[in-house]
Amino acid sequence: MSQYKIIFTGPVGAGKTTAINSISDVPPIKTDAAASDMTKSRKAATTVAMDYGIMNLVGGEKIHLYGTPGQERFDFMWDILVNGGIGLILLLDNTRADPFQDMKFFLEAFDKFITQTSVAIGVTQMDVSTTPTIDDYHLQLKELGITPPVFAVDARVKNDVSVLVQSLLFSLDPGLEEEA
Amino acid sequence: MDNIKRSLKVALHGMDERSVRTMAMYLKGPCQGVAVVVDAPSAEIDIFDGDSITSKKLLTEYLAKSSVKPVIVLSLQNVYLDNVVSVKKPVKAEDMMGALAEVKARLELAARQEIKLSPVVSEPLINKEIVVKPTLKTYVINQDEQQTTKHQTAMQMNDAALNAYIGNVPGVDVNDPAQFAMAGYNPKDYFQGYMQSAINACQEKKEIMQLHSGWRPLILFPENHEIWLDADDKQLRAFASLKLDNPSGNKMSLSPINAPLPELINTPEKLHNMDAFIWKLACWTSKGRYPDSINIEQPVYLKNWPNFTRLLITPHAMRIAALLVREPRTLGDVARILNIKPQYVFVFISAACAVGLAGQARRAADVLVEPADIKPSQKQGLLGRIISKLRGSYA
Repeated sequence: MSQYKIIFTGPVGAGKTTAINSISDVPPIKTDAAASDMTKSRKAATTVAMDYGIMNLVGGEKIHLYGTPGQERFDFMWDILVNGGIGLILLLDNTRADPFQDMKFFLEAFDKFITQTSVAIGVTQMDVSTTPTIDDYHLQLKELGITPPVFAVDARVKNDVSVLVQSLLFSLDPGLEEEA
Repeated sequence: MDNIKRSLKVALHGMDERSVRTMAMYLKGPCQGVAVVVDAPSAEIDIFDGDSITSKKLLTEYLAKSSVKPVIVLSLQNVYLDNVVSVKKPVKAEDMMGALAEVKARLELAARQEIKLSPVVSEPLINKEIVVKPTLKTYVINQDEQQTTKHQTAMQMNDAALNAYIGNVPGVDVNDPAQFAMAGYNPKDYFQGYMQSAINACQEKKEIMQLHSGWRPLILFPENHEIWLDADDKQLRAFASLKLDNPSGNKMSLSPINAPLPELINTPEKLHNMDAFIWKLACWTSKGRYPDSINIEQPVYLKNWPNFTRLLITPHAMRIAALLVREPRTLGDVARILNIKPQYVFVFISAACAVGLAGQARRAADVLVEPADIKPSQKQGLLGRIISKLRGSYA
């Protein structure tokens, strides 16, 4: 059976782990436990820091939900991670110093993957910092020549994450049928 | 063993626990163990994350001290500060190892010459106003995070729920192409039109204002982009559908207010985001009709995706948005391509027009060139099953 995955990315603290947990059917994988097969000489150096969840579909299919390791510096893993991915969820933290710079960074970093699939952007922490607004994000994206979905998202709220992922899927194919 | 002996001792600052662990792995693996992570007092070098607000503050405070330790800053931008080596993100192993080698050389030179590295002149890194969070936020899944937010999340309805929620217009079948001409409405004839005018006026004047409508008290807050209304959804829905005739000139009016009403302070649950309010109001006013400013024979554009997590999501709204954001189309074309009832397109376009996201395409090319049909995704079945799962059609 094919392995399908949706990739969650964004800067540290944007809510990737929480978002995955919101829609995953299994508890998030504990990173400490996942490190058991790694070098054990130093515990601090053996933990694999990757978020992972699963959505179980009817018929036994599984959608794997992967969060990129939070720090921008570990992009060497990204190419491996996105291989076979359905699309990209980009989460941005509105309280960061320059969320637009974050956005451009991740859009550029995943440019090839986005071109092949699609992207939906969730902006978190908008209750804490109301600016930039969602309209501001759209203006920035217009300059980049793309019009992806951009939603205010509370990663703790399942419905917010669900709507964001749905928008990604409808971006891929507006012809998808909805359940009556 | 030699490699371990030569490893530089580094302390990491402004990173959460997971990042520290990952960084430690990175130094040990891709960076070939040229450095190891230790506690701050034992470190020869301090490495800062230069991008989060909290870590920037930490760095600024650190550099203001008379520190003799060299500093490496990892940042999306180049950082130009004395005694600071900048490594641009995304960090590549060779860049990191180069920076560590440079710092190591400095340390060795300093040791040989017994010179003290000059204290760094304090220079604020942050141009923008600092809003300091208490700590770097580490996302750990626990019950504390299952909180509610100020704004309501989207309400997503299916076909069956729409008619019950939105209602319909007696005597007109809005889904019959032969009756499309009668399926338009003028928002100005309804409360929706007054509200849109009031919002425009209020935002132009940038003043808190009260709308005197002869109905319920309503206050507009342009700065917060919020509306306070002393009515529930059921009452608003009923009022939205009333055609307001004002031949006598008994019109609604706006007036500035200086102090919030006492009842407002005690009832924050009656505050609505302006866009969410107008969007909902337009849905209830439309009842499946389209605004008569739209020529249904001509294409309609959608500027960008609506902020659906904070709006009422009518049936097929996301599909319509996904289609229209690609290129302008006529409303009939949208209904045909998506194989849905025109009323769903009409109600969506009413709401999108009301918040200024949609309008009639004016470019000649949009009229001259007929948009192509969409290609179905090869994974359509799978994507549909994910949608069903997300909407809770089955567990």
